Amino acid sequence: MQYKPRMKTASFWFLTGSLFLFPVLFLIVKSFTLPWRYQADFHMHFTLRGWSTLLSENQLISATFISLLIGAVVVLLNLIIGLSAGKALAFYQFKGKSIMDTLFLLPLIFPLLAIAMGVHIAMIRLGLADSWIGVVLIHLVPTIPYSIKILRNGYVSLGSAMLEQSTSLGANVRSRFLTIELPLLKPALRSTIFLTFVISLSQYVITAIIGGGNVVTLAMVYFPFLQSASSTVLAAFSIWFALVPILFYLIVEIILCFLPYQSPWRIKT
Amino acid sequence: MKKSGLVGFIVFIFLLSACSQGQSQQSNPNDLSWDEIKQQADGTTVNIHMWGGDEGINQYMDEWVAPRLKEQYNITLERVPMDTQNILQKLQSEKQAGKKDGTIDIVWVNGENFKNAKENGLLYGPFRDQLPNFNDYYDQDSLAFQYDFGTPTEGYEAPWGKVQFVFQYDSNKISNPPKSFDELQSWINENPGKFTYPNPDDFSGNAFLRQLLYATVDDPKEIIEEPFSNEYATKKAEPMWEYLRTIKPDLWRNGEHYPASLTELDRLYSQGDVWMTMGYNEARAEHLIEQGVFPESTRSFVMEPGSLGNTHFLAIPFNSSNKSGAMAAINFLLSPDAQYKKLEPTYWGDNTPISVDKLPEEQQKKFESLDRGETVLSTERLENSFLPEADSGYVEWIKENWKDEIIRNQ
Repeated sequence: MQYKPRMKTASFWFLTGSLFLFPVLFLIVKSFTLPWRYQADFHMHFTLRGWSTLLSENQLISATFISLLIGAVVVLLNLIIGLSAGKALAFYQFKGKSIMDTLFLLPLIFPLLAIAMGVHIAMIRLGLADSWIGVVLIHLVPTIPYSIKILRNGYVSLGSAMLEQSTSLGANVRSRFLTIELPLLKPALRSTIFLTFVISLSQYVITAIIGGGNVVTLAMVYFPFLQSASSTVLAAFSIWFALVPILFYLIVEIILCFLPYQSPWRIKT
Repeated sequence: MKKSGLVGFIVFIFLLSACSQGQSQQSNPNDLSWDEIKQQADGTTVNIHMWGGDEGINQYMDEWVAPRLKEQYNITLERVPMDTQNILQKLQSEKQAGKKDGTIDIVWVNGENFKNAKENGLLYGPFRDQLPNFNDYYDQDSLAFQYDFGTPTEGYEAPWGKVQFVFQYDSNKISNPPKSFDELQSWINENPGKFTYPNPDDFSGNAFLRQLLYATVDDPKEIIEEPFSNEYATKKAEPMWEYLRTIKPDLWRNGEHYPASLTELDRLYSQGDVWMTMGYNEARAEHLIEQGVFPESTRSFVMEPGSLGNTHFLAIPFNSSNKSGAMAAINFLLSPDAQYKKLEPTYWGDNTPISVDKLPEEQQKKFESLDRGETVLSTERLENSFLPEADSGYVEWIKENWKDEIIRNQ
């Protein structure tokens, strides 16, 4: 069956509108209005209460910064581990490779809570519990499997030929990494960064256990509010929660511009 | 190169871990006089870990308590939002790992959580009887402070507040709320789809069933006074299951689906889908009306044979590194001023366990003349309908059996 381009555009906007734009707009409207009672009057009552309550929560700003910081460190560690492990899995043949491959996925299969509880005791003995470093380490558990998978596929589609050629032309490891691997892996890097950041941001239980309440991330402040019946406050909080990864994404995009060959004024040949 | 990097990383981690240890231990406040405790608490920081999902409670702690505690005791209060079960989980792991310098100084507990914590040795104590405010203004012999859901408190926790279970209804839609569970049954029958209760996995849904259990036996005392056993519960609960099966077809969505939490029920009520809601806090409607969640015509009611009530407490973890500070802070939270502010509808509206007749005359008047708001039943009405909680064994038992009796036995 052939689609006419116009049909395609229409169905695209319909799907985007109903599944993405409408819920987001609805959330924004909700954060400014009192809860609606469908059967009584259908008027909207405008209120700033949701936002004022949110901004008066005195741990909000510090929690946001801590979340950004922890997320950034988690992303960085993920990139280091994901790039090296992904490359090894993509290019090298060794004994037990498939076992290794499965092992890397295990953290996603085991219940995270069970892992966290076991790790907690070890972390207390090492003195890592109740510190942000401990929280960063436990956030690696649910994120590493994804970044290894994504970056491994990135390397597979890159192919080894390109890398071998650059070596034969005399490039060292460093310049090969900076000028070939990083720019060509950009789409994979982008998804890894965004995905791991969002996963790290939304961890509540493991942050609570390992951080022990000393590390108050945004999730620690946000999740208890899910039990509040005031949908106005909840909507305002949810928007704030969504703004954090968007902010992080913008920062990352700016940093990605500094990769080689990214200048928009570069003449493409 | 790679190996040295790894070794460096491990060394780095150990260096970091070394920094966080080596805090000085305080002497045990058990052997100290109150003045010495106050002295030791001076200039310290106290971490209170408590459920953080209510902005009224949060603001009471941050805006009212913290500045005054600083002023009067020179203590910095840090409130950390955390669910009680996670707190206990953390303490349990710390106990296992032998961690002595914990980061939590005060926890807010009662019921099942207190029982677990006390049985596993997660609490420091006894400390309650050293608090001057407890000795001066609270009824030492009150059963409400001696037992917490049937578990003897033995001074391991100090009463902070008390609440009673009430139902809320919309007075625009219902003119005469039911006076007993029998009347409720006929009301549900006449208004199909307008009533439901939360799943008993939820705290409030469970309390609703415990209250129904009191109502369906001949005398609530049979449940309150008899120690819990499976056989006894099974025998006594049959009329309760019968009642629930009878009302089921007339519940919201024909009883095929139950709200998973009180929050869900509250949303249904606020949208007008159901006409009644309920909750374990007699003043909760005040706050929710002010937030615009509940309609302004919301009022509350209690039914025969009475309304469940319980006390909630403050306790100190076994490994708190500032026990003196924690005791000073708890003493402040128990003071008449702090209790009065907590009772006012401005922040929280939580009832006080204090004995008003033990207060100086001026404060007695203050407490007695306080208007808690239109939606709150009179003190007299609440006190007359008060029923204590039974053994906490019923909580689990109801959770386990409700699914078999109501969901599977269609």
